[in-house]
Amino acid sequence: MTVLSFAWRKGSRSPEQERLPTTAINRDALSLRAIQLLPDAVLIVQREDATAPLRIVTSNAAAQDMLRIRAQDENLISVLRHPEILSAVEKSLSSGESCSVSCDTGGPQSRTLRIWTRPLPHAHRPSVVLILRDETDARRLERMRADFMANASHELRTPLASITGFIDTLLGHARDDADARNRFLPVMAAQAKRMSRLIDDLLSLSRIELNEHVPPSGTCDLALVVREVVDGLLPVVSAKGAKIDLAVPPESTAQVIGERDQLAQIIQNLIDNAVKYAPDGTAVTVNVCLDASFDADSDGSRLSDLREAGGGRMALVSPERAHENRYVQIRVSDCGAGIAREYLPRLTERFYRVPGQKSGEIPGTGLGLAIVKHIVNRHRGGLSVESAPGQGTTFTVLIPAPAPNTA
Amino acid sequence: MTEHTLKFFAEELEQLKADVIRMGGLAEAQVIQAVGAVADRDIALAERVIIEDEKLDALQHEIERCAIRLIALRQPVAQDLRRTVGALKLSLVLERAGDYAKNIAKRALVIAQSDPEIPLTRSVQRMGQLVAGRLKEALDAYSGGDVEAARSVWNRDEDIDEHYNSLFRELLTYMMGDPHTIGACAHLLFVAKNLERIGDYATSVAEILQYEVAGEEFSDPRPKWSSVESAPSISGEGS
Repeated sequence: MTVLSFAWRKGSRSPEQERLPTTAINRDALSLRAIQLLPDAVLIVQREDATAPLRIVTSNAAAQDMLRIRAQDENLISVLRHPEILSAVEKSLSSGESCSVSCDTGGPQSRTLRIWTRPLPHAHRPSVVLILRDETDARRLERMRADFMANASHELRTPLASITGFIDTLLGHARDDADARNRFLPVMAAQAKRMSRLIDDLLSLSRIELNEHVPPSGTCDLALVVREVVDGLLPVVSAKGAKIDLAVPPESTAQVIGERDQLAQIIQNLIDNAVKYAPDGTAVTVNVCLDASFDADSDGSRLSDLREAGGGRMALVSPERAHENRYVQIRVSDCGAGIAREYLPRLTERFYRVPGQKSGEIPGTGLGLAIVKHIVNRHRGGLSVESAPGQGTTFTVLIPAPAPNTA
Repeated sequence: MTEHTLKFFAEELEQLKADVIRMGGLAEAQVIQAVGAVADRDIALAERVIIEDEKLDALQHEIERCAIRLIALRQPVAQDLRRTVGALKLSLVLERAGDYAKNIAKRALVIAQSDPEIPLTRSVQRMGQLVAGRLKEALDAYSGGDVEAARSVWNRDEDIDEHYNSLFRELLTYMMGDPHTIGACAHLLFVAKNLERIGDYATSVAEILQYEVAGEEFSDPRPKWSSVESAPSISGEGS
């Protein structure tokens, strides 16, 4: 915007006047354009007099994007209200000091920002330059390393303990007992497999978490992904004597903004779960439908039925600014044992298991739904669950569809 | 009214709104820090939250004074009146939300003295993030004047209630399992209740914005399913 005003001023000059100051003006214009291109958010705020509000007089593209600056001369406070940032700006204004603070933006996709404030010398009004840098990646890496160690070591210890126990037995008094060897080795193999599954899931969860705040940019056909995943799962499903009822819209209508592999992982995990918990011989229903919205509540009478039965409906991920988007919806339902209402909020917690389940009865790492949650959150989508004891469980995922003009 | 007075009036209204947003930012930070103090057993942070609460009270008085002055001198009507009254109401709501944050910080001091083996601070932290996020969305809606965003906040109060009920049950189980933890768990219970109340205030912010813009309340019934029958509600605890 400031660049434009320079171009206009330049046009209004006569050729003779222009010759000398041209280089200076060009240099200014170039610097301004360079500021526009900086990856860090840069803004200049000014105050007309002591009581007037601080206004943003210049901002670069990164700042407009990060802070959703809508108009020129906007009040600083309407885009940034964190008290530490405001007091740093005030301090730079009043004392001419440079400050540096760090803070979190909060919200579902919270970002960690480092902010520098520098008083701008020689401006005709008191002005401060704000530079904001997104340090989310570095922070996340730090925290994840700690989390990974804690979770992984705890969950890996159980199978490891059982394997070492068997090894000790086989080395000790059961050394020449062929019978015991034949019994122990399959158990050990199963435990080792469990460990390797756990490591796979933990690694994929950390990868997803790493770029959770970077929304995917490509598009893909959700119906196609669902079909592929279902085809891949058929052997497992038929081995269990279950079947999958699939209803998807025609090809290339269910376009969504998303990354194919991650979406496939969501669908895979949900159908996997449904098949696991469905009684043998029953069907798992998978539905894809177009043009859903987040706020539109599903069937109210169904909800009251669920509540009657001690269950309910619960949003596990709700997108920010949900009303601005249209979504493609996937529903995966089973007719298994269902889940009581009090356990619904905790389903996406890592390693959480609904109480009352016999452990070992249903194999799993306890990370499947956590992975689904993080992928959905990264896609700025929604995830909800409907369930009641004895009435089966339905997971609903909403993935944003591209705006109509770009489709 | 001459154009001159109108200009001043618009500026005063804008200033009032800026003060409310400033207060909102402060309340938001207080909630996040109070929950952080509980989760990290950070006594210094808790003490800072308790002291910072005075700033919220001071800002509330300032906004109240400005709003009353504006009504007395300019006698606003229609939307201008609603915006003035809205700012007044918001300042009270945010001040209360800040009081709950202060109360959480006070409890953080006690919880920090207890046995660190209580695993539930994690669940409380999760609920705190949810509530702080909701408050942020409501304040974003207010500063952008976005009624649709406000409606979306207003529609989603139920999941905070669900988190509260789930935490309530967990804490009860825990206390029954080991009576030594009753002291700390009781404080966590109040922390959860306070967070639930702050979540309600986020919906109040959304309601006030709707009132400011449209002059009426959200009309359709909220998809709320209170589960008082399954978790006896404890009356809220202020500062």
